[in-house]
Amino acid sequence: MRESSYKVLPGPEGYLPPAAATMGVMLPDPGQAIMEGESVDRDTALRAAALKLIEARNPVFFPGPLILWDWKPGVAEKATALKELAEAVGAKMIPMPDYRPKYPMINPAIEVNPNHPNLTIWHNKIDVCLFIGVHCHYANLALKIIRGGTDCYTIAVCAEAGHEEAMISLRDAGLCELQRLRELVIELKGGKNQ
Amino acid sequence: MKTGMLKISPGFEEIMPPEYRELVDNGPYGKDYGIGDLGSYKELLEEHPLCAGCGLALSLRLTLASLPMPEDTVIVGSTGCSALAFPQVALHNIHSLFGNQNAVASGLKRALKLRFPEKEKDVVVIAGDGATADIGLDMVMQSWLRREKITTIMLDNEAYANTGGQESGMSMQGAVLNMAPTGKKFPKLSLPEIAHTCGCAYVAAASPAKPKQLAKVVRRAILVAREIGPTYVQLYSPCPTNYKFNPKETVSLIKQREKDGLYQSKEYISQEAQAFLESIEVKK
Amino acid sequence: MIDQKIVDPDYLLFEAPRTSEYITGSEAVREAIKRANVDMAIAYPITPQSESMHLVGDIYAQGYVKEYFRGENEFAVMSSVAGASMAGVRVFTATGGPGTMRAFEVFPTWAGARLPIVCAFMTRGINSPLTIQPDTIEMAYLLETGILMLHAENSQDLHDMLLMAFMVAEKTDVHIPVGVFADGFFVTHTRDKVNMLPEDCKLPSYDPYTSPVPVMDMENVPVRQMRDPFVMKSNFISYAAHASWQQEIDAAAERSRKYLNHYLGGLIDVEHEDADIFIVTSGTAVSQSREAIATAREEGINVGLVKIKSIRPFPGEEIRALASRSKGIIVPEFNRVGWLAKEICSVIDEPRKVVRGPRVFGGMTMPPELILAEIRRINQ
Ligand SMILES: Cc1ncc(C[n+]2csc(CCOP(=O)(O)OP(=O)(O)O)c2C)c(N)n1
Ligand code: SF4
Ligand SMILES: [Mg+2]
Repeated sequence: MRESSYKVLPGPEGYLPPAAATMGVMLPDPGQAIMEGESVDRDTALRAAALKLIEARNPVFFPGPLILWDWKPGVAEKATALKELAEAVGAKMIPMPDYRPKYPMINPAIEVNPNHPNLTIWHNKIDVCLFIGVHCHYANLALKIIRGGTDCYTIAVCAEAGHEEAMISLRDAGLCELQRLRELVIELKGGKNQ
Repeated sequence: MKTGMLKISPGFEEIMPPEYRELVDNGPYGKDYGIGDLGSYKELLEEHPLCAGCGLALSLRLTLASLPMPEDTVIVGSTGCSALAFPQVALHNIHSLFGNQNAVASGLKRALKLRFPEKEKDVVVIAGDGATADIGLDMVMQSWLRREKITTIMLDNEAYANTGGQESGMSMQGAVLNMAPTGKKFPKLSLPEIAHTCGCAYVAAASPAKPKQLAKVVRRAILVAREIGPTYVQLYSPCPTNYKFNPKETVSLIKQREKDGLYQSKEYISQEAQAFLESIEVKK
Repeated sequence: MIDQKIVDPDYLLFEAPRTSEYITGSEAVREAIKRANVDMAIAYPITPQSESMHLVGDIYAQGYVKEYFRGENEFAVMSSVAGASMAGVRVFTATGGPGTMRAFEVFPTWAGARLPIVCAFMTRGINSPLTIQPDTIEMAYLLETGILMLHAENSQDLHDMLLMAFMVAEKTDVHIPVGVFADGFFVTHTRDKVNMLPEDCKLPSYDPYTSPVPVMDMENVPVRQMRDPFVMKSNFISYAAHASWQQEIDAAAERSRKYLNHYLGGLIDVEHEDADIFIVTSGTAVSQSREAIATAREEGINVGLVKIKSIRPFPGEEIRALASRSKGIIVPEFNRVGWLAKEICSVIDEPRKVVRGPRVFGGMTMPPELILAEIRRINQ
């Protein structure tokens, strides 16, 4: 199999960047994560994500429908953990409530949409964002459009196989990863909670 | 929809956009709302891009307000003007292709029956006259012949509106339209009669000029499809943009047509459907 | 119906004890579907496919498949299959030749809508004039639909590939349709030894909630969801959304390589890796080539075989590497247009090394002598 030299980095990469997967970037194996196009172990990725979040000028979380709605057992706990993480980071939350194209009706101050996520990034001057609870197809669309048009650093906390379109992506991530990320944020901030 | 499924996760109430908060606090799921309640609750249809005075938009709004069980209704649409409104509808809905809506709905309905044998899932097709009576007619009729338990609703604007006003099988004889530059040469198709012959247990023609009637037939059609077999509803929904009349006059135009004997409401009910409707309508 | 237990797919495909039987390709379809835990199958007749869906109907009657019906035409069948898949069930169908062409508008929408449908294509010639004979030309048209394409050499491949197809198609990061192709009559109607799996085992069922897009059942979020909304305003934002969507389908196909490598043991099989000349082909042309190669090697010519099992994704890197150290590549095909030769030429550094043929079509079998003649010619 071909080794990829393609790096998944903050953009703007240009008009229409290629899908990272077609450039040879592979999703991580179970237990691993992916960082800027390369497989790394989960803890390295979690630590790097925590660092990116605390160093950010304006970190924003983009929770999607799968976590915004308490639609099946286990979601409420994750949602609470996500809120606690956002508080530890000092990050704002801007929801992605659904996936219908909303341009030009979108209010980028209060929502983000997978068909034009760049509008929300630009409007709010977001330098690091975190995706969670977004269906994988729409997450990949949005993450790639963000790489194409903005310089935002993207982190994906994915409950399935992960996202090569994100600069850092976890896979099979759940409550435990959110809690670990919060611990790391607190630790890296020097032990001070919030 | 499982009861309580549509609940905002703890701590996310303030960031959820208002249109969703309203849907949770005051939406139609699990309630027995009808068109009489319009204006007092959060409707399924958000802002949509259809033209001012669009008859089809009016029919669609009334149809959505008449669904007996929106929380367990999946809609199949087709290409055409209404497809532009469907992304704004707070129900799972499918746009596949132009004309294949009844075939998609057949697969969907049977699959939902497999996955949820204990639960009713209403599958409702809502498509234009071109989609239903021309390009998709074979699949529409075949779904009736196969006795698929789905409701087919035609939004009849008597033209291919979305592609700029061409003649359809539902246009009136003599109508001058694109692709019928010297007037249509053959009469409007009588699809309600065909539906009846093809075995639909319930067939109706109505219009948004009489909202209560429209609501009643849509509701009956869906309930009969659930229990007995295929049903068909044809909604006369004129298009001001392509027929070039004043958008304010959509409803009066329907009334005029009715007066002139060029449009009439209809209802065919099979014996089995009649008995069923009597049993539930008396109970109520 | 025999009581079946759900087993791990790797156990079923790689470890479970197999018993060998002489069956036709159509029967191999029945045996695979019987163990594939399929919820629903929709049928429409066309030679040489019909028998396979008759047999799937038989196992529906026995209870192995939960729902089955005959649709009204292939366009409708492929649409019904899409509706069923969007509702979250595992669904199977099969067609071929004119049936494939009749349904064509639907195929690209399957991949676009992220539907993990498995469809068998029993390839046959396309009109006019009418023919029912084997020919792989329909594959040329399907290459760019986003459907993953596996090409069976024989009934064993057909059987195994069908089972693998469901597992690959349903991976969250793939979740696009898989077509399993078998050359009509040559595979469907001839008896061959097939190593069959235990009858009391079946694949795990499909979990629609791991899908990368919402399932249309009103039981998951978001409820304001259309599959799939138009993104067609005339501005850059709409173009970028539509383009990125298509790129994501390409990405999904790329991601399937990992899983296909696992299940198929590589997208290609190579015999005589150190050969000077390679026959590179797929489907039953592989068997014909094997005969020619045996004779050529007896004559002292160092010729090898590359059997391509996956046409989409295409094993471009693998073929490129082999081509770079060979002196010639021969691509026998069962169609008029030579689509496989074009594919091969597009991935290797020296397309002039490629002999685009021999080709037979219209139902003829490929005489190994035709291939042998090319081998001898290149060897001089
Ligand atoms: C296969 C195919 N043929 C033609 C079209 C073009 N087309 C799109 S919408 C439409 C007209 C729709 O007419 P109707 O069903 O009456 O709906 P309306 O727009 O009038 O509501 C046509 C012809 C298409 N999308 N697909
Ligand atoms: S063109 Fe006609 S049918 Fe279409 S939205 Fe406008 S008024 Fe309605
Ligand atoms: Mg119309």
